[in-house]
Amino acid sequence: MSTTTPPAVGGLTSQELLAGYRTMRVIREFEERLHREFATGEIPGFVHLYAGEEAIAAGVISHLNDDDYVASTHRGHGHALAKGCDVDGMMAEIYGRYDGICHGKGGSMHIADLSKGMLGANGIVGAGPPLVCGVGLTARIRKTAQVGVSFTGDGGSNQGMFLESLNLAAVWNLPVVFVVENNGYAEATSNEFHSSGLDVAKRADGFGIPGVVVDGHDFFAVHEAAGEAIGRARRGDGPTLLECKTNRYYGHFEGDQQTYRAPGEVEELRATRDCLDGFRAAVTEGGLIAAAELDAIDAEALAQIESSVARAKAAAVPDLSEVLTDVYVDY
Amino acid sequence: MTSVGVIANPASGRDVRRLTSGASVFDNAEKASMVLRLMHGLAASGIDEVVMMPTAPSVAGVLRRQLATRQPPGSAPLPALRFLDQPVTETARDSERAVAAMVAEGVAAIVGLGGDGTQRLIARGCGEIPLCPLSTGTNNAFPEMREATVAGLAVGLVASGRAGTDGLRREAALHVRVERAAGDRDPVEDLALVDLAVTGQRFVGARAVSRADDLRELLVTHASPSAIGLSSVAAALDPVRRGGRQGLHVRLAPVAAAPRRVVVPLAPGVVVPVGVRDHRRIALGEAVELEPADGSIALDGEREIELRRDDRALVRLVAGPRTVDVDAVLRAAAHEPRRALATA
Ligand SMILES: Cc1ncc(C[n+]2csc(CCOP(=O)(O)OP(=O)(O)O)c2C)c(N)n1
Ligand SMILES: [Mg+2]
Repeated sequence: MSTTTPPAVGGLTSQELLAGYRTMRVIREFEERLHREFATGEIPGFVHLYAGEEAIAAGVISHLNDDDYVASTHRGHGHALAKGCDVDGMMAEIYGRYDGICHGKGGSMHIADLSKGMLGANGIVGAGPPLVCGVGLTARIRKTAQVGVSFTGDGGSNQGMFLESLNLAAVWNLPVVFVVENNGYAEATSNEFHSSGLDVAKRADGFGIPGVVVDGHDFFAVHEAAGEAIGRARRGDGPTLLECKTNRYYGHFEGDQQTYRAPGEVEELRATRDCLDGFRAAVTEGGLIAAAELDAIDAEALAQIESSVARAKAAAVPDLSEVLTDVYVDY
Repeated sequence: MTSVGVIANPASGRDVRRLTSGASVFDNAEKASMVLRLMHGLAASGIDEVVMMPTAPSVAGVLRRQLATRQPPGSAPLPALRFLDQPVTETARDSERAVAAMVAEGVAAIVGLGGDGTQRLIARGCGEIPLCPLSTGTNNAFPEMREATVAGLAVGLVASGRAGTDGLRREAALHVRVERAAGDRDPVEDLALVDLAVTGQRFVGARAVSRADDLRELLVTHASPSAIGLSSVAAALDPVRRGGRQGLHVRLAPVAAAPRRVVVPLAPGVVVPVGVRDHRRIALGEAVELEPADGSIALDGEREIELRRDDRALVRLVAGPRTVDVDAVLRAAAHEPRRALATA
């Protein structure tokens, strides 16, 4: 229990509350729209949707500054949007257009924007944690107060490099937070079949760092625990493993038939574990924010996504002469 | 056939207190080992069956593996192990469902492995069935930290009827009811076993009470000077015996503004000053109306109910569950041969 730090949750201003809600709503609308657009066949490549998991990206990343770093996953749209990547640029990128934040050459799984501290989505499962160990080491050597946060799925947490990163961060006492988004599945494999013991957080014990579990559908719970973990990292107190129990509303990738899920599973989740519904109930019932203010954000987010899709569709694809630009770096 | 229910909460020992205090981590494999050792104790009284809440493999799988391999030669046959047929949601619902099922089946006793929060969930539903609360961590005030084998011996004597009711202790509880001023919110009722506190933290969030300086009020069922947690504040002012007919009501303030301060162990590794306005004893049955506040009500150290200034919250000291007093049961068994295990 800390007696000196400012209130972690009770102290959320209404501005911060509205910002958290906006982030979650923008991600939700972004993903819901991609779900529909992908079915038309116009979007190249693969997309893995983040709908259902928004409270994690919003709750964790709201504690980060532009010069803090995030290393994301194949399911990375939410992390990028929360880290401040431009909505139009993201949509255009996923459509493979030149206006995209990587000029349409990255697509959904390689979206990156270093100016926002977004190290990138990542097609290699489990590859985020070693990247933030690099961030953490740099911050320590240069004596900045920067923090690195990686995201990994429950499946990714079985990768050797995830465990190696926990060890490295522990022995070097790095300013990093390893967030695990445990949505119960790795592709079609339920975690009952891929992990012995469902708490990934428990693995922290073996490396001598704290491992904490929170409800990943609850913005306030994620925000509070992440605030403590990121605060620890910034103060030089070392790494934390933060496991968020969550669910994805769509298939592993768009087009997944989801035959491995029980009938009604997703409908039940949408009805009972929706971070946006939970947030709305908490702030309106508590009299902190009027429902109309949230409605206004809903409408703005919808319009913003609508316009980003229209712009993306109208934008040009990169010219053939661009194939090798931005791909290699000269040192 | 005599059955004993066991609820081992796989989620206990993993909350944000690992970051905000020096609370230790309690391994799920160790919870499984505790259940196995408990079963050896129960076996000495010839308990037929252990009925368990199903959990993720972290507890249940390890237990199954251990049952298959570790049977010391010469020990009494272990009770059969049966898992209740219910889904695993990894939420508090699992414990609530399991308690209801155990009550419906008529188990002779329930053993709870977990922290104060877990025991609270069990106590809300177990009625008059004796509860043996075992701690799986260092930061609890209600369950005892004790060897499961010994607890199993005592629970076995109680469940088989040989201990009578002498070794059972009637606990007190704090019942809270919150009436909502605004029409869109339902009234809430709940129970705390050790302490109920009003904090300035407005959301339930990560649950644990993580700050001392915005505590407004505290009520306790008992206050032991050697306890850790919120009840240590009450114990520093006026220790109150467990299982008695009195509790304590303490009104708090920020340290700088308080007429009195006490230095207490609020969490493992956290010894801090807490500001006190005043305190007074409350009697069994007495109701206390909480001061209007924006914040939340924490039950046994975990924020549970979000509170608004215009809500009306009434707290009453009431009779709680019956718990197994392990020392008392085993002492009686030593003095009365008919109750002793050797004559089983
Ligand atoms: C190193 C590597 N192995 C396998 C894959 C194929 N793959 C893509 S996503 C995925 C499952 C990831 O599951 P999880 O980490 O739980 O993340 P989720 O999709 O649930 O968010 C796998 C195996 C990959 N991309 N990279
Ligand atoms: Mg997964």
